[in-house]
Amino acid sequence: MNSNLQPNFNYVLLSHHHIPNVQEIEVYEQAEGYSAFKKSLSLTPDFIKEEVKASGLRGRGGAGFPTGIKWGFFSKDREAKKYLLCNADESEPGTFKDRFLVEKNPHLLIEGMLISAWALGTQKGYIYIRGEFYHQAKILEKAITQAYQKGYLGKNILGKDFSFDLYVHRGAGAYICGEETGMISSLEGKKGQPKLKPPFPAIKGYRGYPTMVNNVESLAAVPWIISFGAARYRQWGTEKSPGTKLFSISGDVKKAGVIEVPLGTPLKNIIEDHCGGMREAPLKAVIPGGSSAPILTAEQAYKVKMDYEDVASYGSMLGSGAIIVLDQTRSIAEILKWTLEFYHHESCGQCTPCREGTGWMEKIAKRRPSVEKTSTPEEVMDLLNRVAQNMRGQTICALAAAAAMPTQGILKAFPEEMKAYFGNLKS
Amino acid sequence: MSTSLPFSFTEKNLKEYQEILSRYDDIESALLPVLHLAQEQHGYLPTVVVEYISSLMGIPKIKIQEVISFYDMFYDTPTAKKIVQVCTNITCSLYGGRKIHQELLSHYNTQNMVPTKDGEIFIQKMECLGACEIAPCIRVGNDYYGPIQDTQEALNKIKGESANP
Repeated sequence: MNSNLQPNFNYVLLSHHHIPNVQEIEVYEQAEGYSAFKKSLSLTPDFIKEEVKASGLRGRGGAGFPTGIKWGFFSKDREAKKYLLCNADESEPGTFKDRFLVEKNPHLLIEGMLISAWALGTQKGYIYIRGEFYHQAKILEKAITQAYQKGYLGKNILGKDFSFDLYVHRGAGAYICGEETGMISSLEGKKGQPKLKPPFPAIKGYRGYPTMVNNVESLAAVPWIISFGAARYRQWGTEKSPGTKLFSISGDVKKAGVIEVPLGTPLKNIIEDHCGGMREAPLKAVIPGGSSAPILTAEQAYKVKMDYEDVASYGSMLGSGAIIVLDQTRSIAEILKWTLEFYHHESCGQCTPCREGTGWMEKIAKRRPSVEKTSTPEEVMDLLNRVAQNMRGQTICALAAAAAMPTQGILKAFPEEMKAYFGNLKS
Repeated sequence: MSTSLPFSFTEKNLKEYQEILSRYDDIESALLPVLHLAQEQHGYLPTVVVEYISSLMGIPKIKIQEVISFYDMFYDTPTAKKIVQVCTNITCSLYGGRKIHQELLSHYNTQNMVPTKDGEIFIQKMECLGACEIAPCIRVGNDYYGPIQDTQEALNKIKGESANP
């Protein structure tokens, strides 16, 4: 699939995207591909870990936790059995950046994983890709085969005392497998149910061994950081949100697609310059970071800068960088119903507040509760808000909060519209 | 016992099975890819397949059934030659994904996840397929299509495609 947007050649992640056939290893090598990995082998693992830490790279899956600090929690015993797990389960509604990255440039991810494996001392890695991305899994498998043939993967890589095997593992359609402990359960051949933390996967993960789980986009940023250095990576972004970020933009803009821009880029610029502005009607609202992120009003959306801190200052989150743009013809109540239907469907069912709460919220949003106490729209909204609030912080993983936050966000951002909606809702 | 079972991997898939096992440090981890393989061969994963996989891998049947029921892409009831997945998450719904889903069901005179009587088409409502830039999108077999202008275009895409592997 092609994005309508022109890739920007000057940045980190999409810098090879304009090169025809860059998914072929020879083409990638001609474009300096695997040079960062070769350089890495002349550097100490500690140096690489320090460089990634100094870059301030934050986990691009959605949580935004600094990758270098996460790496710091990992076992330093190089001989001990350890795994590197790439999270390519991209399932947060609105998100398609990782797919765009790997289908055009699979070797960038493989190179990022190789450098990370060398730094972390992992002997085996898996790319867990969502089951629907069948062709992307095949692209990755082909690229891995090429990397083995060139001696970048396997035993004693490039003559060094370093061996690393890499495999693609396809999921089978479950949002929760994007949660890192859910992903580990799934890789272990089980239902993708998240596990209690601690212990964190960095200490005790896949099959009980230390496992480092990083998102595609985080790992794909590593080669650039090693080639050009942490200081140059920090030329982009803000002090706390350094570097560039991929954004998946969809909805009511003229051009939807994936862009790479420095963190801190105003959302207004993204909509107007990169996406050609609104399609037909003026802006009403934006979901800035995937469906878990509380909605922003048009006024907020035209003010916010797309970095972790600024989006948070509006009560929302940068998340996976999935921007869903809504124009004034759109019904916010519909958005709420679709969102809750999704979380109810995707709750893994092991924690009661989430299993029941997501279902209750979906029901309340679709049909007025037949309880006397909740007859007025305000009372229905209050009930919905309370159910959402009671789900938060009560569960093993963040799915409950991911359902509660956008619900509360909609009630807060569009109270009048929701009041009118609930006023007309049948019981 | 296993020789009397009505399902077994083909020669080719048995080799594929061995290759899958070689990727993992334990046999349980191979379950998802092995189920994908079995479903490619059989179309869905009924009890006979579960029994075969259970005896082949030494994993209790209940554990396999649990896994099949958990994931949207594993089916324990019959599917059809073509599995058509229609995204109905936010962006696709903005652009008519739900309408397309309903109209496809009417067109084929069937229900969600019930194969047509001729065994040709199986329609499944899906959550975000991760292709919002081509909303509304559908997935036929392993191929994505979008933006789908209307149900007629969806029908053309479905008809134009080869059978689900």
